[in-house]
Amino acid sequence: MQRNQSFALVALFAALMAVLGLIPKIDLPLGVPITLQTLGVMLAGCLLGPRRAFQALLLFMVAVAIGLPLLSGGRGGFGVFMTPAAGYLVAWPIGAFVTGLVMHTLPSGSPRQIALSAFVASALGGLLVIHASGVVGLMGIAGMSLTQALIGTSAFVPGDLIKCVLTAVVCHTVARGLPDWQFSKRNT
Amino acid sequence: MGSLYSEHSTWLHAVPAGWKLALLVLLSTGVFWLSTPVALSLACAASVALFVSLGAAMRPAGRLLKALGIAAVLVLLFHAVLQQPLVGLVSVLRMVAASLLSIALTLTTRSGDLQAVLERLLTPLAPLGVRADRFALQLALMLRFVEHFFVVWKRLDDAYRLRTGKGGGIKLLAPLTIQMLQTARRVADTLDVRLGE
Repeated sequence: MQRNQSFALVALFAALMAVLGLIPKIDLPLGVPITLQTLGVMLAGCLLGPRRAFQALLLFMVAVAIGLPLLSGGRGGFGVFMTPAAGYLVAWPIGAFVTGLVMHTLPSGSPRQIALSAFVASALGGLLVIHASGVVGLMGIAGMSLTQALIGTSAFVPGDLIKCVLTAVVCHTVARGLPDWQFSKRNT
Repeated sequence: MGSLYSEHSTWLHAVPAGWKLALLVLLSTGVFWLSTPVALSLACAASVALFVSLGAAMRPAGRLLKALGIAAVLVLLFHAVLQQPLVGLVSVLRMVAASLLSIALTLTTRSGDLQAVLERLLTPLAPLGVRADRFALQLALMLRFVEHFFVVWKRLDDAYRLRTGKGGGIKLLAPLTIQMLQTARRVADTLDVRLGE
């Protein structure tokens, strides 16, 4: 029973990741457009726990690699792992895993606690881990120095911080809408 | 759902998926070992020649090529501004050579064939608990539900538009997520009945 639930969650979350790529770019109130897929990485960790989040993102990446146009803008195939942004992409499963791991250790007694924990977990796993890997990618593929890559990546940090807040808001709503959902506590 | 595969048959379509994948891994690793502009220019030219030989099959790759072009221009500009155009040139040649090879693989190989190769590669991991057949089912489930959740999102957006007169945007993310979690529970119940595990 538990195993089939994990199995279905992994497959369906990977599907949700693909849908987040199909939804047109969303403008935040200040007019800043954001793509939702990195938000999906954070959500995976908070909602599914480290192992299932990792598997869901891995499944999604395999589907992208075998040529399905699932990344935002209809991109797909092995080629996407050879562009300067590849460092960010390959870190998605690891980022989701770390988010889940941090979420697992933080308190989740009330919806408000869950929201706070989700913010911290996504900032560490969804933002820090992915940007660190992105910097390595920029250095390796675009030939930038460490300082240049750090400056380049920092331009996207404010947008990603907003995504951490959004993840917290979504987790808060899920905690109220599905009170029996265990977030990353059950079956890590 | 669409795929980037091109139905227009070329010589590369006839090469088995496993060989193409192995060659891609070897060649793109090779490209990352090269560091002189001359060697990289030759590699890039070979890659372009291979890509152009696909003729009309190149058509579905428009968006991918555009993204690659933008990335190349950005990297070149970045390094030109920093007075190191040679570093920029080397990075761009490397990126274009490797990317074109990958796009050629994507255009000329059915995703089902690549999936079969991956399953074969996963088979030796069976003693570690990795089950290739379950992976195939999971991939199929995922693809089936992409369409389903897109329809769910559309419905949520329409309902929101009726109530408020504007699109739901980010506000629909939480209800969409809740729908996904609930659907996963129902799918798990179905799997329990069907697979009896």
